[in-house]
Amino acid sequence: MTEIENTAPVPLAAGFDEELPDDFEIGRHSSTRSRLASEVGAAIAHELNGPVTALLLYVGDIQQRCDRLADESLKQVVDSAVLEAERVCALIHKIGDLFEAPIPEDTAISVARDAITWWARTGHPDSKVAMGTGDHAINESSRSGAKPLTPREREVLRLVVQGYSNKEGAALMGISYRTFECHRAEVMHKLGAKNTAELVRLALLETTVPCPSPEQPSA
Amino acid sequence: MEFSPQQITNGIRKLTKEPRRILVIDDDASVGAAIQALMGHHRYQTVLASRSSDGIRALRQSHFDVVMLDIFMPGLNGLDVLDHVRRDSSIPVIVMSGFRLRSPAQPMDYLAMAAERGATLCMRKPFTAAELIKAVEWTFSLQRPSEGLPA
Repeated sequence: MTEIENTAPVPLAAGFDEELPDDFEIGRHSSTRSRLASEVGAAIAHELNGPVTALLLYVGDIQQRCDRLADESLKQVVDSAVLEAERVCALIHKIGDLFEAPIPEDTAISVARDAITWWARTGHPDSKVAMGTGDHAINESSRSGAKPLTPREREVLRLVVQGYSNKEGAALMGISYRTFECHRAEVMHKLGAKNTAELVRLALLETTVPCPSPEQPSA
Repeated sequence: MEFSPQQITNGIRKLTKEPRRILVIDDDASVGAAIQALMGHHRYQTVLASRSSDGIRALRQSHFDVVMLDIFMPGLNGLDVLDHVRRDSSIPVIVMSGFRLRSPAQPMDYLAMAAERGATLCMRKPFTAAELIKAVEWTFSLQRPSEGLPA
């Protein structure tokens, strides 16, 4: 296994390891200073990710295991710890947003962003605040003019993503093969997918499919 | 009464007492250890690789159900690892990364790049235990029904 030349784990931005100009004076070079400050801030915030992720996972683990205990006061303490950890998490996301450049409105990127924000948001009472703008329902794609999927279309999408054929899917939903195909075509149209493979890829990324979905295919 | 493919697969797993296997490739050992501890209590078996080359080797040598992959790592970065993995495998890959995805000096969207290279799901660090479990179980639910349905 040949290892590629060690690229820095966190690619430090230009300016970080640059020599400061001899006549550098705080205040007179406010643009340089603010650029440096934001890069340093972003780097520090990035360093926080690992430990905070670990912390969140540990307290989450403790919380889940405490559910089996009878000690109510201990449970309360643990719940508070989880709440505080989640607040720290939301704050870190917020700091990250401060340093990030605006995202270009490109389909591939916005799809990925929807997936990210969605995951960042799930289960977070505070994450709406943390995510700032771009707060739209999962169903509403960021592509302008896209209509949300109907419950039937979502169901069809879920079955397609799970790998069912048109025939199997139709049978599971108790609808005709043709109707199933129509729903699928409509889903592809709404999501802007050219073929099934792309539809599946988009669906996975955008997580429009409820997850995990214990409910039965035909309600 | 009908069951979802996921429920059936889970049922079979329980019956055979065969734990799901998760490979975590992250140079930050604290994240890997936390994932391992959490997933252990959910009866998942977690293998840690702190170097990307170790991760690729582990994938070649044994079976895993899902890979959790960090993007920023020394040596081969997560995107390179993803390219490697996608050459011969469709295993679900959850890409995780902190922010600093784009800055004026570094205008790259790494999670979008990962998505283009075939990542199954992208998660932004830090994430909570509940989010992690939900994400991992979601990737399990994506398995083709033929793998879970009895005839």
